[in-house]
Amino acid sequence: MTRRRARGTSLVELLVGTALALVVLSALTAAVGTGARLLIACGARGEAEDTAQLALEALTFDVRRAGWDPAASGLVAVREADADRLVLAADLDGDGAVDDTSEETTAYVCLASASRLSRLVGRQSMPLADGVTGCGFRYLDREGAPMAIPAGGLAAADRARIGAVALDLVLLPNGLAGRAERSILIALRTAP
Amino acid sequence: MTRGSTALPAALATLAVSAALGAAVAELARIEVVLAEQRRAASVALAACDACAAEAVAALPVGWDFDPLLAGPDGRTGTADDGVLATPAGCTASAGVAPGPADPPRALLRLEARAGGGRRALEALVGRDPAPGIPALLWLGAAPGAAVSGTLALDGADADGAAASDSAGLGAPGDPDALDRWLAGEGARVVSSARTLPALHSPPPPLVALAERMRTAGARGAEALVPTGTPPPSLALVQSDLVVSDRLFGAGLLFVDGLLDIRGALDFTGVVVATGGVRVTGAGRLAIGGALWVGAPAAGGLLLDVAGSLALRQQSTAIAAADRLLALPRRPVLLGMRDLG
Repeated sequence: MTRRRARGTSLVELLVGTALALVVLSALTAAVGTGARLLIACGARGEAEDTAQLALEALTFDVRRAGWDPAASGLVAVREADADRLVLAADLDGDGAVDDTSEETTAYVCLASASRLSRLVGRQSMPLADGVTGCGFRYLDREGAPMAIPAGGLAAADRARIGAVALDLVLLPNGLAGRAERSILIALRTAP
Repeated sequence: MTRGSTALPAALATLAVSAALGAAVAELARIEVVLAEQRRAASVALAACDACAAEAVAALPVGWDFDPLLAGPDGRTGTADDGVLATPAGCTASAGVAPGPADPPRALLRLEARAGGGRRALEALVGRDPAPGIPALLWLGAAPGAAVSGTLALDGADADGAAASDSAGLGAPGDPDALDRWLAGEGARVVSSARTLPALHSPPPPLVALAERMRTAGARGAEALVPTGTPPPSLALVQSDLVVSDRLFGAGLLFVDGLLDIRGALDFTGVVVATGGVRVTGAGRLAIGGALWVGAPAAGGLLLDVAGSLALRQQSTAIAAADRLLALPRRPVLLGMRDLG
């Protein structure tokens, strides 16, 4: 033994040792890489879910207050109702008028070309969700029956019959294999 | 020696990086769990607030305005009980004067609910239903204290056309399911048409105030009921029990401040009100195109005692005609809502 140590490390031992070290390092690198990818995927998944949830919460907030009319001016809660566009109105300051340039007019637009759902507050457009692969509004009348949406959206008389608004949202952000899907049905809080 | 000195730091470094990555994943997961819990709490509180608003609105009295509500139980404004509302546990609510014009009558409710670790508050505007009365053929002032040994026919299909809304058969304070069970329990004695809607919850009708309004309006007496033909709609106020022994016809609004005792036949188009109950004897027949509102007898007897025939059919134009003679009370309805946070 003493003599062998004194001879030093042979080439074969060195090669075998190096190979073993490479195998171990490769495994460790793969593990670290997998962990990093998992971290990124978790972050992206969490962000996608949060984005979808926040979009629905924003819509819920706006639909619930649509038609708020303390001045009894007779405003219309739903100004536009199409499969990819919804415009809501509320007299938040109670002055008897709906200001088109303020938060009193809120629109939701599904932009298929940009894969985006946007919330338009007055004249300001704010992206609510990117990576949108599915986005559509549905409308139920006050008896709960689905309403057919003609080209160009519901007419004024039909908009007055809307009892609830539904949004179906599908997100598939880059880097994610699975989709984040949400559907919500929100009743208008206004009397006929 | 060289190999050992490089492998150990490399392994330790890898371990450290892996640990950091693992910790980051765990932290992400923890944040998502916290967010989910907060969302759940907010949703539970929002649902509780919505339920609170629904119950508060449903419990508001049927009437013409909101003055009694705003004045509170003592009937005087400017006191501590102004706008006090009874609410379920976990929810507080108060009513105040709505901003904007006094007409149409409205009130502003402020509600706050705590549930599931969350808190939500909202404002709700309430007004009066454009439709008079409640959408029920028979409106009882108390949960059904009724005996039907004859026949009770309820037809919620509007006689004025298929396009009109159908009506519920029965409205009364209490659980609507219990009201439906009572109707079903009467078996073949109660006949409801296919278009008669299920029973609905409603506070009792404001009969005392309605009688006062009729007196003020100068209503006629029982002479408004005639033996032949269909008389024009009119206001008829009978300030005692009314016994109908012959065949009579009437239209408009008939208010009996006592027991309506049908021993003959009465055909009426409009709204019939009886504060002391309705009794239809074995040979009696009462047919109403419109609605029948019945208050509880002072002595605590039956609201409705039908040994003969009682037939009620929805007829919105008849109710509207009565409403034109004298504004009928209306249900409170939610006009709008906004979340405060």
